[in-house]
Amino acid sequence: MLKDITIGQYFPLNSVIHRLDPRVKLLYTFVFIIFIVVSNNFVSLAFCVACALAVTFISRVPLKTVIRGLRPILLVIIVTSLLQIIYVKTGVPLISFWKIKITSGGILEAVFITLRISFLIVMSTMLTYTTSPTSMTNGLDRAFSPLTKLGIDFNIVTMIMTIALRFIPTLIEEVDKIISAQKSRGADFESGNIFKRAKMLIPLFVPLLFNSSRRAYELAYAMTCRCYNGGKGKTTMNLLKYKTNDWIATFLTVVFVLGVILLNIKFGEYNAQFTFNAAV
Amino acid sequence: MADTILKFDNVTFRYEGDDAVLPPAVENLSLEIKKGEFVAVLGHNGSGKSTVAKLSNGLIVPESGDVYVLGMNTKNENDDLKIKQTVGVVFQNPDNQIVATIVEEDVAFGPENLGVEPAEIRRRVDESLKIVGMYKYRLHEPHKLSGGQKQRVAIAGIIAMQPQCIVFDEPTAMLDPEGRRDVMNAMKRLNRELGITVVFITHYMEEACEAERIIVMDDSRLVLDGTPMEIFADVNYIRSLGLDVPQTSALAQMLKDDGIKITGDTLSVDGLVNSLAKILDRG
Repeated sequence: MLKDITIGQYFPLNSVIHRLDPRVKLLYTFVFIIFIVVSNNFVSLAFCVACALAVTFISRVPLKTVIRGLRPILLVIIVTSLLQIIYVKTGVPLISFWKIKITSGGILEAVFITLRISFLIVMSTMLTYTTSPTSMTNGLDRAFSPLTKLGIDFNIVTMIMTIALRFIPTLIEEVDKIISAQKSRGADFESGNIFKRAKMLIPLFVPLLFNSSRRAYELAYAMTCRCYNGGKGKTTMNLLKYKTNDWIATFLTVVFVLGVILLNIKFGEYNAQFTFNAAV
Repeated sequence: MADTILKFDNVTFRYEGDDAVLPPAVENLSLEIKKGEFVAVLGHNGSGKSTVAKLSNGLIVPESGDVYVLGMNTKNENDDLKIKQTVGVVFQNPDNQIVATIVEEDVAFGPENLGVEPAEIRRRVDESLKIVGMYKYRLHEPHKLSGGQKQRVAIAGIIAMQPQCIVFDEPTAMLDPEGRRDVMNAMKRLNRELGITVVFITHYMEEACEAERIIVMDDSRLVLDGTPMEIFADVNYIRSLGLDVPQTSALAQMLKDDGIKITGDTLSVDGLVNSLAKILDRG
């Protein structure tokens, strides 16, 4: 049952976005995040949103799945929106009760913030939806390989990531087995209050930890047998090469960056008062 | 001496205990493996046979005595990579030997560490996977394969480093009969078609009988060394070591005990049938 989980959030499809070089995706997602934060008026924000939606559409990942990715940060969005509504006092007062005054400026600011945070998250989940953990690790490895010259060994970090990814399903399987073994001896994992249940995790984690350390020893032997020496002088079978699509993506990202900058200059810093008056 | 690939010279090794001094896991072991041999190392649990695997390419070094790989002493750290490239070890649990999340990337791990050119790695990976019959699974995730398939991927990972000798430490112990047969066949192919020396540690009698030479270990020592026929000639002694004997040898021994003088091959089924037929002819 637990065995069939997919690691991370990867959504295996074969779209143009999926086939992009992982380094390209990493870098340009980062660029997008910077510029959606930089965008300072509704027009440039709308431009960012449109770009994010276009990427989502091209990747063919269902919109529903993408929106589901927002669920974990729902609370953050609600709290920040409420704070904006309560504390921003610009614009036309709409409702006032007790000590709270809600103004048009506050609401517009809340909408602005909500859109900004949501699409920032949408774009970063797009990265994990369209890049398999393996190619992500590969991309990180290549992207950070210049750091080796500065004496920072990123190779070990990616090795750790690879091993973690490799052993997640194995350990899940093992947890399954331990649960069955303990249940067959009468252990009860499902009933009781929270403290009782937490206590039941001890007979689960002790054998798991014990077995993991044994695994670690065996893995270390196996890696030594295969001449692993911390990645010194290591080559890679699957070389990452920039293809036509990666250059197209680069061009589009440049267009995006210029677009945000121009729209920011043209429409100026977002001003609730002004926007509202203009709307009226 | 030129055709000796692996040599144990009076080797003793003991694991470190917390306080008490543990008895040696291997004691005064001397043996020589020649290039191209297919040798089985047989012994019950705790006889020291797995320690032999770890000693054979310098994963652990002897407390006294020396291990030589193509004349290189495993104690010499300068030769470490070369020794590990010459003698590969495949362990019992395939899960704990696979490093990468994709089959072909795991097989590439060894050559990548050795700094082999990318095109050459690709060629070796494809070739190794074809030898063990796992080529069509090259893009699969290892955790979705069966035990026998995983073990064959682990073997391919070693083959890709182009070793001259592979030591298998109970590679079939955790597998189902089908997986066991596949792994057995892969080992035989390596020996016959690629000329790789195979040292194969096991406690399954039937598997050991398929080797050209059997080394029997008991209580940290080497007790017997010979062809399967020589080894199983003395059924009672093998049994006294806590090991099984093949059904054919057991039958021959029962006949001998009843005073029937049976000679010739009593190990293979066909051989035993022939030997029995001769006796019947004589009347």
